[in-house]
Amino acid sequence: MIRLDNVVKRYGDTTAVDGVSFEVPTGEVCVLIGPSGCGKTTTLRMINRLIEPSGGTIEVDGRDIMSARPEELRRHIGYVIQSVGLFPHLTVADNIATVPRLLGWKDERIKPRIGELLELVGLDPDEYAGKYPRQLSGGEAQRIGVARALAADPPVLLMDEPFGAVDPLNRGHLQGEFARIQRELKKTVIFVTHDVDEAIRLADRIALMRDGRLQQYDTPEALLDHPANKFVHDFMGADRALKRLGRVLVGDAMRTDIEVARILDAGDIDRDACGDARFVYLVDGNGLLRGWVDCHDLDEGRSIDDAVTEIDWREASVAPDISLKDALSTMIGLGFRSIPVTESGTLVGSITLSSIEATMTSSDSHITQLSGETLSSEEPS
Amino acid sequence: MSAPAHMSSRGWWPTALVILGGFAFAWLIMQQDLWASVLGQLFPGARSPVYPVPLVDLTLQHLALVGISSGLTILVGIPLGIWVTRASGRDFRDIVAAGVDFGQTFPPIAVLAIMMPILGFGLRPAVVALFLYGLFPVVSNTVAGLEAVPEALKDAARGMGMKRLQILGRVELPLAARIIMAGVRTSVIVNIGTATVAAAVGAGGLGDPIIGGIQVQNLAYVLEGALVAALLAILADMTLARAEELVTPRGLG
Amino acid sequence: MGWMPPSLRVTGSPRKALSNRQAGQGGAIVRNMTVISGRPARRVDRVAAFGAVVALAGCLLVPFAEFRANRIVSGAPEPLSSAGTAGWLLLALAVAAFGLSVAFRPAWRGRGILILGAGLVALMPWALGFAAVSLLIGAGSPARVSIGSGAWLVMLGGAIIWFAGARGLGRSRLKPVLAVAVIGLWVSSAVFGGVPELSLAREYAVQSTRFWGLVREHLMLSGLGLAFGTLIGVPLGALASRNNLVRSATLSVVGVIQTVPSLALLGLLVFPLAAVGLPGIGTLPATIALTLYALLPIVRNTYVGLAGVDEGALDAGRGMGMSKAQLLLRVEAPLALPLVLEGVRAAAVLVIGIAAVTAFVGAGGLGILVFQGWGQQADDLTLLGALPMVALALFADLAIRGVASVAVSPGIRQEEVAR
Repeated sequence: MIRLDNVVKRYGDTTAVDGVSFEVPTGEVCVLIGPSGCGKTTTLRMINRLIEPSGGTIEVDGRDIMSARPEELRRHIGYVIQSVGLFPHLTVADNIATVPRLLGWKDERIKPRIGELLELVGLDPDEYAGKYPRQLSGGEAQRIGVARALAADPPVLLMDEPFGAVDPLNRGHLQGEFARIQRELKKTVIFVTHDVDEAIRLADRIALMRDGRLQQYDTPEALLDHPANKFVHDFMGADRALKRLGRVLVGDAMRTDIEVARILDAGDIDRDACGDARFVYLVDGNGLLRGWVDCHDLDEGRSIDDAVTEIDWREASVAPDISLKDALSTMIGLGFRSIPVTESGTLVGSITLSSIEATMTSSDSHITQLSGETLSSEEPS
Repeated sequence: MSAPAHMSSRGWWPTALVILGGFAFAWLIMQQDLWASVLGQLFPGARSPVYPVPLVDLTLQHLALVGISSGLTILVGIPLGIWVTRASGRDFRDIVAAGVDFGQTFPPIAVLAIMMPILGFGLRPAVVALFLYGLFPVVSNTVAGLEAVPEALKDAARGMGMKRLQILGRVELPLAARIIMAGVRTSVIVNIGTATVAAAVGAGGLGDPIIGGIQVQNLAYVLEGALVAALLAILADMTLARAEELVTPRGLG
Repeated sequence: MGWMPPSLRVTGSPRKALSNRQAGQGGAIVRNMTVISGRPARRVDRVAAFGAVVALAGCLLVPFAEFRANRIVSGAPEPLSSAGTAGWLLLALAVAAFGLSVAFRPAWRGRGILILGAGLVALMPWALGFAAVSLLIGAGSPARVSIGSGAWLVMLGGAIIWFAGARGLGRSRLKPVLAVAVIGLWVSSAVFGGVPELSLAREYAVQSTRFWGLVREHLMLSGLGLAFGTLIGVPLGALASRNNLVRSATLSVVGVIQTVPSLALLGLLVFPLAAVGLPGIGTLPATIALTLYALLPIVRNTYVGLAGVDEGALDAGRGMGMSKAQLLLRVEAPLALPLVLEGVRAAAVLVIGIAAVTAFVGAGGLGILVFQGWGQQADDLTLLGALPMVALALFADLAIRGVASVAVSPGIRQEEVAR
């Protein structure tokens, strides 16, 4: 648990943070958001005393942060920053081992921990442990940054725009990874961003700041539906219904009972799969998505070549761990009214415009949060 | 167009200060009698307190030695540096860079010493040695400066239809000017220093009273030569530092 | 059943559209590459050809060696033919290198050029030795044969050809083999060839006991200056990186010192030292001057190295709970190390050169030989001082680069620029 009580930071005559109070329950993600210069990063950096507060109290797990030496405090708080800040002269393994070594862990305890953490962030330990930061891509570096912050298993994690410098595609992946890791580890996280979509996607609660003051602190739904003032309303944006889609995962909203045609060994397809449908997806023997079949063409006796449209799953399908909002954006981009959902190419379901529409109009109680349990949204047929 | 901080380093007064320093220095070396009386008081035991050759002549000899060699260095070094970064000379880029790198580890006196058996005694080997040694920083900085110009800028210039010479003259050289000038500055300052030692091979200049003074145990000569040589070097450094700022395009401040 | 038409807009196969787009991009990339590597492969290896011209000029246009009746008088020029067969072999190698780099393009051209260049360099002392032996036949014992400018040019040309060959080859086992062979031939020329008959070797034979003492003195002076310069310069640079006032004061003072000619500084040091009753002549002023000159590169590079440490790495280190000392030791120092070592390297080279000048104020070192040589107009004595000085500087340069290549983390090591 992290509790801020009337926290103030002054620089000379200017007040950067002005009487901010909020409480983040254990295991929840609090996203600090606001326009640049609103004091969100200052607030974050006061929690591990990289900036000393001018007034108020901050407690981490019930202990006043001023009661310990700042170095001691920081070793028990994970810290991830936008520029990643990996030490370029150390290998990935040594970077991850930084805090455990500061804490005096023995090598036999550190070594397995490094492998564990690399696997947690989805990187192969054998391949990555010995690499140097300059050999990593931006996305890989930030994964290592997260692994390093988690190394000594701190109960609290501070993240300052961790995905801000990563390209949009990778950012989506990293957000998904983070959500998965958080579901697993249940850390208490304070996460600074200026990206409303990122906040809505990841937050249990959002703290929206402006000019050093806290404007509203509540769940994303509450900020969208019941903004405390006009600033909150404007900041969250006009497309609130659309934004809400950012909190629903494709995997939770997709249809799984779809008809598929298989490619037969003889170079033919099983024509019976068509049934009443106009279109069915085409998969090969391994279940990999290969395209779709126009049943109408088949019924009229055209050749299979005419009836089948080949597609590349990398370009024309979505993954189940992205948000419905991103899926919708992909569909609009491709001009599709329905899009297949694949996991590494294997067809697992589909999303249609009408199912998205249903999600948008359904009541709040039907919306799953990323960290919550799966809830499928049935599409009215 | 420029910020106040910009103005201070760009304004006229640093230039004026350098010019004023130049005049002060010129005045100082012309006061042969003043030197005689001051040094006479400081070293009452000395038989003659000032070096027999007037300071003006020594300084002019020194300046001529440095001026000719550094002039040649610039005339050869900068074009050479430009040539090896062009398509026509790129073959030679690596060997020139390696040679310049190698040459810069040579002690300047060793270059002077190696020239001697080949070119004999006196001014000629001194000029050649100073010229050669001065070449290293000039070529090295010219190449470094030109290669530091971002490819994107040259690309943009090409895209706007500039010819090769125009790209060189309007984009590359202005952007590299500061680094090239820094190389010239290093080269000239090293030359002024090595030129004092060249007095030992009969090249004359401000090293004469220092070396002569040590030989005949007349410390007044040593002080006279050392002081003026040091002042000359510092003045030259200030002048070239100023030149470095002046050749830098405003936008790069 | 509840199937929507997947696409109302896409006609034809999306894959075809995609592959078209990729082909378009591919085309653009190819075009870019031709712009970058737009030079056609040259038929003529111009660098090797240039080296061959230099070597040929050394063989034909200027005296290869010089004959002098005694140590002091100026020499009479002797052509390449004085070296006999070895001389003709040098000429043949140079001609072959020229031909190979200009006219013929066999598959083994790169290797051929490499071998010819190394051959020129390796044979040069043998040819000089032969010239010395043949010219000294019948001459009186004070007669000497010294290295002519032609021999230097042949060396230079050979080195250029060698470089050109090595550059074109990439990684090849031939390179180290040739380097070892050349060193072997040089050493054996001193034992089995006529090299000991050369005037420089004769001069060494006369001076040998004094020579090594002077080398030791030179090393000691430079070493002291470098050691003090490092001990003072690194902390000063570190302070400069923490404090703006210290920075501007230190860098400008050290910069002015660097500007002052070494001979003038040594002259000026006499007076304050005399004022406090210390000797103004000898090792003390020399060490002080060398220390002062070593400061600039070390202070500046330490400062730049520490100031250039990535702000993100510092923030991360602090945020993970490193104390100031831990941050300095574990993050800043290793990251600044390459630049600090580069500063020490530059200082070492500088100090070895300036140590020569300290001979003027009676501090000893190889400068003594140079200045005595100038005083007596004895070129051999001058070279006996100057060439080992060059060797010391090159050795120090290589040694410190070697230290850097081991001490600097591979994560931040600058990849060796292709030589």
